[in-house]
Amino acid sequence: MNRLSGIFWSLLFLAVPVLGVATFAIAPAIDVWLPKDVSTHGAAIDGLFYFILVLTGVVFVATEVMLFWFLWKYDAAKAAGPATYIHGSHALEVVWTIIPAATLLFLAIYQMNTWADVKMRRPSMAPSVEVVARQFEWRLRYPGRDGTLGTADDLFLVNDLHVPLDEDFLVQLKSMDVLHSFFLPNLRIKQDAVPGMKIPVWFKAKEAGQYDIVCAELCGWGHYKMKGRVTVESREDFDRWLESQYARQEATQPEADPSRSVAITE
Amino acid sequence: MRHALPTFMLLCSCLVATGCGRTPPAYFRPNMVEATKQRLTPDQEQQVATVLLAMFGTPDEPVCLPETGLDEAKLRLAAGPVRSDIVGRKNGLYREHCAHCHGVTGDALGPTAAFLNPYPRDYRPGVFKFKSTERADKPTHADLVRLLHNGVPGTSMPSFALLPPAQVEALVEYVKYLSMRGETELALMRAFFELDDDAGGKLPETREFLVDETLTPVAEKWKAAADAQIQVPPMPADIDLVASIAKGKELFYGDKANCVKCHGVTGLGDGQANDYDDWNKAIVEVRKELSSSAEQARGASTSGMSPEELSEHRVQLAWLDKFGKVLDGDALEPRTIPPRNLRHGIYRGGRRPLDLYYRIHAGINGAPMPAAKGTVPPEDIWHIVNYIRSLPYELDGELGADKPMLARDRF
Amino acid sequence: MSIASSPSTVHHEAVAQAPAPHPAGFLSTYVFSKDHKVIGLQFLFSTLVWFLIGGLLALAVRWQIAWPWSDVPVLGKLFAQEGGQMAPEFYTMLFTMHATVMIFLVIIPILAGAFGNFLIPLMIGADDMAFPTLNMLSYWFMWPAFIAFGASFFVEGGAASSGWTSYPTLSTNVASSPGSGWGQTLWLLGLTMVGVSSMLGSVNYMTTIILMRAPGMTMFRLPMTIWAMFITAVLQAFALPVLTAAGFMQLADRTLGTGFFSPEGNIVNNWMQATGGGQPLLWQHLFWFYSHPAVYIMILPAMGMVSDILTTFARKPLFGYRPMVYSIAGIAGLGFIVWGHHMFISGMNPALGITFMVSTMMIALPSAVKTFNWLGTIWGGRIQFTTAMLFALSFVSMFIIGGLSGIFMAATPVDIFIHDTYFIVAHFHYVLFAGTAMGVFAGIYYWFPKMFGRTMNEFWGKVHFFLTFLFMNGTFFTMHILGAVGFPRRLADAYHYETFHHLQPLNAFMTWCAIGMVATQIIFAANFFWSMFFGPVAGRNPWHSNTLEWTAPSPPGHGNFDFQPVVHRGPYEYSVPGVEKDHLMQTDPPNAAAAALAAAH
Repeated sequence: MNRLSGIFWSLLFLAVPVLGVATFAIAPAIDVWLPKDVSTHGAAIDGLFYFILVLTGVVFVATEVMLFWFLWKYDAAKAAGPATYIHGSHALEVVWTIIPAATLLFLAIYQMNTWADVKMRRPSMAPSVEVVARQFEWRLRYPGRDGTLGTADDLFLVNDLHVPLDEDFLVQLKSMDVLHSFFLPNLRIKQDAVPGMKIPVWFKAKEAGQYDIVCAELCGWGHYKMKGRVTVESREDFDRWLESQYARQEATQPEADPSRSVAITE
Repeated sequence: MRHALPTFMLLCSCLVATGCGRTPPAYFRPNMVEATKQRLTPDQEQQVATVLLAMFGTPDEPVCLPETGLDEAKLRLAAGPVRSDIVGRKNGLYREHCAHCHGVTGDALGPTAAFLNPYPRDYRPGVFKFKSTERADKPTHADLVRLLHNGVPGTSMPSFALLPPAQVEALVEYVKYLSMRGETELALMRAFFELDDDAGGKLPETREFLVDETLTPVAEKWKAAADAQIQVPPMPADIDLVASIAKGKELFYGDKANCVKCHGVTGLGDGQANDYDDWNKAIVEVRKELSSSAEQARGASTSGMSPEELSEHRVQLAWLDKFGKVLDGDALEPRTIPPRNLRHGIYRGGRRPLDLYYRIHAGINGAPMPAAKGTVPPEDIWHIVNYIRSLPYELDGELGADKPMLARDRF
Repeated sequence: MSIASSPSTVHHEAVAQAPAPHPAGFLSTYVFSKDHKVIGLQFLFSTLVWFLIGGLLALAVRWQIAWPWSDVPVLGKLFAQEGGQMAPEFYTMLFTMHATVMIFLVIIPILAGAFGNFLIPLMIGADDMAFPTLNMLSYWFMWPAFIAFGASFFVEGGAASSGWTSYPTLSTNVASSPGSGWGQTLWLLGLTMVGVSSMLGSVNYMTTIILMRAPGMTMFRLPMTIWAMFITAVLQAFALPVLTAAGFMQLADRTLGTGFFSPEGNIVNNWMQATGGGQPLLWQHLFWFYSHPAVYIMILPAMGMVSDILTTFARKPLFGYRPMVYSIAGIAGLGFIVWGHHMFISGMNPALGITFMVSTMMIALPSAVKTFNWLGTIWGGRIQFTTAMLFALSFVSMFIIGGLSGIFMAATPVDIFIHDTYFIVAHFHYVLFAGTAMGVFAGIYYWFPKMFGRTMNEFWGKVHFFLTFLFMNGTFFTMHILGAVGFPRRLADAYHYETFHHLQPLNAFMTWCAIGMVATQIIFAANFFWSMFFGPVAGRNPWHSNTLEWTAPSPPGHGNFDFQPVVHRGPYEYSVPGVEKDHLMQTDPPNAAAAALAAAH
């Protein structure tokens, strides 16, 4: 009876690595996995994610299986005689200090370049758009024809960000009131918007389509509804879209068909 | 004793399980401020509720008479609890997107409402600010769609630009429905006042009274909105922008338009700023009236009163007491409406020149902003529009170095 | 290291000269008691009640995530007009208060307050704490906090709802959200009171451990629990003042019109709180300067307790005693220079991010060393699967997951994607619930006989363990893959995003598991209270353990020991060859061991 309970509990602990690995193996198949990456820098981030996943996965399985094996083997109901009387091993301590230390240090150095690419090596260009976060929407301001923000020909929009394909795109991120976070899951971009700061965010989209903009920093009761959309399109489509939006913004007469007065870009 | 511990556990679980249970379905809250103001009896309140139930249904099961001109299929999409139907279409849109602030009833008493500045719109009086029609008219369908699309910048009303058009349509239809319901409720409650003495304090429950005389006039105003659009003259072509702005400035400070009175000599919205909008004003006035009658009633000496007078006096005291409680529960603390700061570049009703034209031409219904129509010629309104649009970018002028600059623009 | 190397008999005698007078009367025995055991139990019961409240808050949160805007059981009655659909600000309040309650009213006080108080004097062989009155005050200062946090649910706008991190300007501007009114002020006051309580406790623990050890109890003969409590107390003493100061600054921003954390001209919801001139990031630096060490305050004592329980039920000495001590110290030291890893994408200079990334990677090292040593401890042991042992083993198993998932966040580029997603939620629940809470359960099952003189029911204890373990992993492991999709935390309804709309069934599964997990705790509560009165009577040392508390009566009377314990060896002398019984208590006279060894030859 006692031995049975030992078997039962050690198998329960074996279930941890088995089901843990299974979860991660099934996840991509049921589409509960990294969303499609459409940025040029995303591959490096995803690569690191997978690298760390494999590395930690190996350690996870090794240690959890070891735990299971010890429980199985050294169950008091099974193993005869007294426990091994040992206070530790200097050599082992050195080994399992130095190997993880080297691995972690390697990891730290290995990822620096990606970090610098995404957050430190800003392209030298004027901002392509100013995104001002506000409870609870993303207010956008395109510089207009003169390419300069803050002039009378600026184009004002809300929630509907358009981005030209295969071009560096520089966002000037601001917040009007509280903290927000500009999160583009498909472009592997996340940056807090801080009141009182202008923060540059840049990326290059490599695939046309429509993707979500999510607010990822608690900004009040309506945080969940702070949804935006980024549309990646060719340069021609982008320019055409800019022109049409600008014409709409400068309208001095109602549009002929009232139902068309709504910009439904679908 | 052996089974005592498991029995004890079962007992604990039962204790926890009790107290769970479904909440009854959502309901429309009666307009208690108006009902109390009109001194309705509980029977009369009940009659209004019954009539409204027959005419408009419940938040979960809306119905609409053909006279309203509403599309019941759209209403059903917007009404009810948030859920997906069998084809995966989103239902309960109003409660997903709007009810937190505007309330299930459209009375602007949702759980979040009290914490917004400005307060959300109460649909029940049927007054809407930002539209392409004349001041007293209803907004057109397209106006409401546009408003949902853009949100109201500078307030807590967000943009719903990313909702599929069919959902926006459903929401607009539902807002109209709530507004019509609210206006009908007001009309019914006010109708008691005009009842003949022999009516027994009950409204006639005839189709003629309820539909033709009460509901139809409300619905007709909504139908008429499409034809009440403001005719906008073309922007004067014979004058260049700089001259137009100069002319607009003159008008801004002039006697006829007199924008400067409220928006201030600086355009910062620092002119007369102690006014209320209609929704808040109604509460302010009721409160004022209430406190003066309360003073009167409490100050009255009861010693010389006849028994009839005394009972009337008691009724009055009870009513005052009730009204005070209703105001505490069903009305928010009134807030003043500051005139807009024109140098922020934030335009609540839209930033198109056309939108500004509408605002100046028709004024803002429900707000102190008056209509320029009739006092300022249409071409001159365009000059004011041009001047207003130049204000956020005006670098020189009398302001000079005094122009305030936000910290975030300095970094 | 002079403290560590010299026996502390001298100090001990100096402090313990005047024996504490016996209390008389109900109030001074059970309410305003200065006896460390009563205070420990007061902490234990209070925190268990808050544990229940925190758990129910979590259930309400999970309900909304699984079935947004549906009728919430029980709570739905608060939203009768909306048909039971919870308001979004109510949801933000729920998760804010869930975290606040769990961190400040459960984990920190149950570890340091309940176990620290109960165990420290018993395990070092002292008759009480160094400052009994301070000790009493440290419990009673929790009450203003209980009242402030509890009352905040009932003020206008509800309790605080700017997250447990309370980031400005959401928290400083009173108009920014409903909970930013009175709720937030009460939250800050409550936090300050918890801080005062922790500070009084920490001073007491440090003094007691340094000065009041029994004769022969050198620092390196201390059980790991005491080492962990000691280093935790040091962490508290150095980190807490920063949080307290920051809390007062935020309070001043809210009530006095200062602008430490608001930039100039900051307007939220058309309301200007202060003229400003401050910086929202300043709060984050100050807050995390405390709250990152606080993460270790929330795990180190559990690590210590688990080390003791593992050795007892593996019947084996702790593998690598000194490396274990050094790694706790290493964690504590490094813990002060890694706070910036909470702020990689906050707008802090990205170059600074690199520094914090390196230090964060390095702090994984002592944790790894500890894990390997625990595995070394059970290797070659004779494992007894008691309930306490199972919880302790699950601590090790789950801490591996929580530790490894931390490396993802430490890698700055990966953090860009998974920051503030369910990946981090999974990570800290694996550390704090699957880790610390398992350690706490292990501790309760293990020391229950010492606390109440009776043992808990083993069969129901194992049922409790099995179901908790199952449901816990069902709830939290799935959060990892949710995080891999980028599913953000703190959203009342995420399914209107294209990226996340297919995740509802998975969330519903997790919520069912969470419901199961909370329901399972009924078994624990019933077992706990039942065994308190009707459990089998335990002797002094039911687990055949070595440390000093097991030499005292169960439960120990006032003054703890009925003889003066004298310590002759370290705490983990199990299965010593040649000794007849498989444990050698710290107080067993050396000649017995010597005689046994001689007889064996």
